[in-house]
Amino acid sequence: MKRFQRTWALIMLVAILGSVALTGCGGTKEAPKGTSNSDKPYAGTTMRFLAANHPWTETLKTMIPDFEAKTGIKVQMESITENQLTQKLTVELTSGAGTVDVFMQRPLQEAKLFDKNGWYTDLTTYMNDAKKTPAEYGASDYFQGPMQTETVNGHLTGVPIVTEQEIVYYRKDLFQAANLKAPKTIADLEAAAKKLNNPDKGIYGIVMRGKGNPAVTQFSSFLYSEGGNFIENGKFVLDSPAATKAVTEYGNLLKNYGPPGVLNMEWPQAAAIFAQGKAAMWVDANSLYKNVTAPDKSTIGDKVGFAMFPAGDKGALPYSVTSWGLSIAKSSKNQDAAWEFLKWATSKEVTTKIQSTGVPSARTSVWESDEGKKAWPADWVSVALESGKVGSPADRPLVINVGKARDLVGNIITAAITGKDVVAAAKTNNDALNQLLTEEAK
Amino acid sequence: MLGRWVEKNLRWVFTLPAVLFILVMMAFPILYTARVSLTEWSMSAVTPPKFVGLANYAELFLRDPRFWLATWRTFYFTGLALLVETVLGVALALLLNRDFPGQNVVKTLFLLPMVATPVAIGMVWLLMFEPTIGFANYVLHLLHLPPQLWIASQTQALPSLVLVDVWQWTPMIALIVLAGLVSLPSDPFEAAAVDGANPLQILWHVTLPMIRPTVGVAVILRAIDALKTFDIIYSMTQGGPNYASETLNIYGYTLGFSYFQMGAASSLLMIFFAIVLGVVIFLNWARRGVIA
Amino acid sequence: MTRRQTKLILNVLFYVVLAVSLLIFIFPFLWMILASFKTQAQITAYPPQWVFQPTLRNYVEVFAGQQFVQFIWNSLVIAAGATFFGLVLGLPAAYSIARYKQSGLGMTILVARIVPGITFLIPWFILFTRVGIVDTLPALILTHMLVTMPFVVWVMIAFFEGIPAELVEAARVDGCTEQYAFLRVVLPISGPGIITSSILAFVFSWNNFMFSVILTGARTKTLPVAIFNFLSYSEINWGGLMAAAVIITLPILVIAMVTQKYIIRGLTAGAVKG
Repeated sequence: MKRFQRTWALIMLVAILGSVALTGCGGTKEAPKGTSNSDKPYAGTTMRFLAANHPWTETLKTMIPDFEAKTGIKVQMESITENQLTQKLTVELTSGAGTVDVFMQRPLQEAKLFDKNGWYTDLTTYMNDAKKTPAEYGASDYFQGPMQTETVNGHLTGVPIVTEQEIVYYRKDLFQAANLKAPKTIADLEAAAKKLNNPDKGIYGIVMRGKGNPAVTQFSSFLYSEGGNFIENGKFVLDSPAATKAVTEYGNLLKNYGPPGVLNMEWPQAAAIFAQGKAAMWVDANSLYKNVTAPDKSTIGDKVGFAMFPAGDKGALPYSVTSWGLSIAKSSKNQDAAWEFLKWATSKEVTTKIQSTGVPSARTSVWESDEGKKAWPADWVSVALESGKVGSPADRPLVINVGKARDLVGNIITAAITGKDVVAAAKTNNDALNQLLTEEAK
Repeated sequence: MLGRWVEKNLRWVFTLPAVLFILVMMAFPILYTARVSLTEWSMSAVTPPKFVGLANYAELFLRDPRFWLATWRTFYFTGLALLVETVLGVALALLLNRDFPGQNVVKTLFLLPMVATPVAIGMVWLLMFEPTIGFANYVLHLLHLPPQLWIASQTQALPSLVLVDVWQWTPMIALIVLAGLVSLPSDPFEAAAVDGANPLQILWHVTLPMIRPTVGVAVILRAIDALKTFDIIYSMTQGGPNYASETLNIYGYTLGFSYFQMGAASSLLMIFFAIVLGVVIFLNWARRGVIA
Repeated sequence: MTRRQTKLILNVLFYVVLAVSLLIFIFPFLWMILASFKTQAQITAYPPQWVFQPTLRNYVEVFAGQQFVQFIWNSLVIAAGATFFGLVLGLPAAYSIARYKQSGLGMTILVARIVPGITFLIPWFILFTRVGIVDTLPALILTHMLVTMPFVVWVMIAFFEGIPAELVEAARVDGCTEQYAFLRVVLPISGPGIITSSILAFVFSWNNFMFSVILTGARTKTLPVAIFNFLSYSEINWGGLMAAAVIITLPILVIAMVTQKYIIRGLTAGAVKG
């Protein structure tokens, strides 16, 4: 017995010593200093870029060799899905080891939290420094709204690279046959959904995201257009009459004229239903258009029309947001080299090239050029520009814990879709949301 | 000389490398998580973790109904899945316990479900469960049964996930039990036949009792994994709709990587660890008790 | 009814039940394989399309667009390494635990399987970064061993418990040490158990997603992580996803097919021995 206990103690001691030893030794990878060459001041530096799977990344990948040749900086790029990206960034940035230099961010989802955690390098100094950022870069070329999204507590957390707005995708052929025009008001939208809803023939009036958390962003346009808001004067106001009207509309559309199973639908499922010709309308982000227009993905690709989000009591106020930005990690050991990369990746030339493959940017000059418009059908571009003019810069509550907030708002939407007491759900979840704000303020 | 020494201390020489490895790899993470569970921390590099003692645990136990619901769902999922998988697994093993043409190929094919990458499987089932264009409802349609909502329904989500788990892991139980079946000595069977027992009696009184040890091992291994099921739930419903399929592991992941409440997540993980440990100890005791 | 007729009916019944069970278990794979040759519009079509014009586009995309050969290699090395070392450490441990009833140590090893995987992510990343082994194959083999070894130990304990002590004693009477008896007598007859636990351990490592996502980089990316390459922000490439899924499953199937023969051979030899 005694010998047994002694052995156990020995084992524990070794285990703890072992893990302590491992934590104590070893150093982090140092980036080799660049050779002093005024033309390529950062030559020889290796830079790690964490990107998300995105058409923007696909096109940029092809242009990286040019950048490497021009500057001598070696770019090590990894691209993964957005949720895994957040997870990976979280782990790496928490460790503070400086393993990430540049990364793609979702400002609306992460900026506040990442800023609070001190993970961003404030890019304001870089942007304003004439030496680091030559005038031809055009720092003022960006849309106001997207830049606003990227600014948290006065810090510029990233440079916007992709934007999107909410629009109505509709079946031109079905509308024509029923003598309908593209909906101009939310009431029109409901009427059209009702008229075209024909479950017996296998066609539903409308399809939208019905799963709580993902649906929040698409619901936001309804909210704004009816005069509601997520937060006003520092408090959540989702129990206001305008908000209740908006969420009831959203829920009723899906409840009465939507396909079964909406409760589990994120955009892929909703897009698939529309692309298979099983819904007359689909309201979602315009960046997703390829999923329903490409001939190998859709059976009704050539029949798709694009319309601006319809007007509510306050007008047509869909969201027009920065979905993705490019940031520099504060813990990166290659700040200046990282800025060189970022500057290049967001330059007018690169942005134009990427936009011409169908990725909407945030640069005014690029939108005004022919090159920048050629990727899309004309009606898509006009809807995008129109929406951009009036659009709201946020599609979700701007809090630190966006994930939790979205879950709570999602509960209200779910109540509306399932026909439960919306007023009660709004009150309960609104209180919980305000509770969240109070905790965050501490 | 060395040989004698090794033989004398065999029980340590043989086991210490494995045990040490485990302890070294695990000690740091567990201690780290235990420490973070006593703090409130959003993983910030700026704001240090705030020591709050057992507040996280109190919060979960006393003020968080979502925690208790997740615990209930974890047990419900595991219990149902284990029950169905064990019964079907043993049945499948008994079925396959004979020679037939092409048996190698067939037995290998049965391995497929558990061999496939869970994430990929999740995607396939996601498409199959889609109420409007999915294959599952197409089959129901052919059988003249009403279409279901499957994972889109708050009441059907968890059972649908159990279905996928059963589909995926029954073969594993069958495989382990089959290996045990084949290693059984033939004497008891011959004796029973001589005594005039019919096949059903042989099954119940001879076969099943003799494979109990192997079934026991299979059940414990599966129980641990079933409690921690993550990949298929994550890829199919992410815990929805409306938390209907949120188990403890998913909730822990959400708290940590979605809400960034590392203190709360760590405390939940510690509790979860204790729960799984408790279940394993219980099952192990039951297994031994049954054999003795 | 004659005995022969009963036997015939039972035989037919056996094959029917076998066929139906098999179909249920492999159907999603058939669906997956079919889908890997379809375009997205065909995959989401309803009623499901059984007859269609197949396309090889998805497979071309998988191999041309991604460095899948590299990913396959990574997954293979990691799974093989983790399984091999899992056996090296696990077999002796399992034998000793079974023979000397060291349930305490057995529990310690099993605890590794009990701890929820998420617990390890941040601490391991911090640890590995300090030592400088992130994005290296050895680091991943180490972490995957935490998956394979406890599994090997627990399955083999049951098998070793079933080996009569007389066998080992007989060998020792002949003059060899216990460890020699272990190597020369016990291991060979444990073939079926070893192969079974090895296959399963290999599979668990091959399919591991959580550890790989965090601890791999561009060089060591494994297949389950790579499959997500087909999920983009505004596009899901179902066809590519299915093709990748098929490619990921195929090597395992081949390995299982090959080693399955050894299992059967070992099993029949054991049955003859009685």
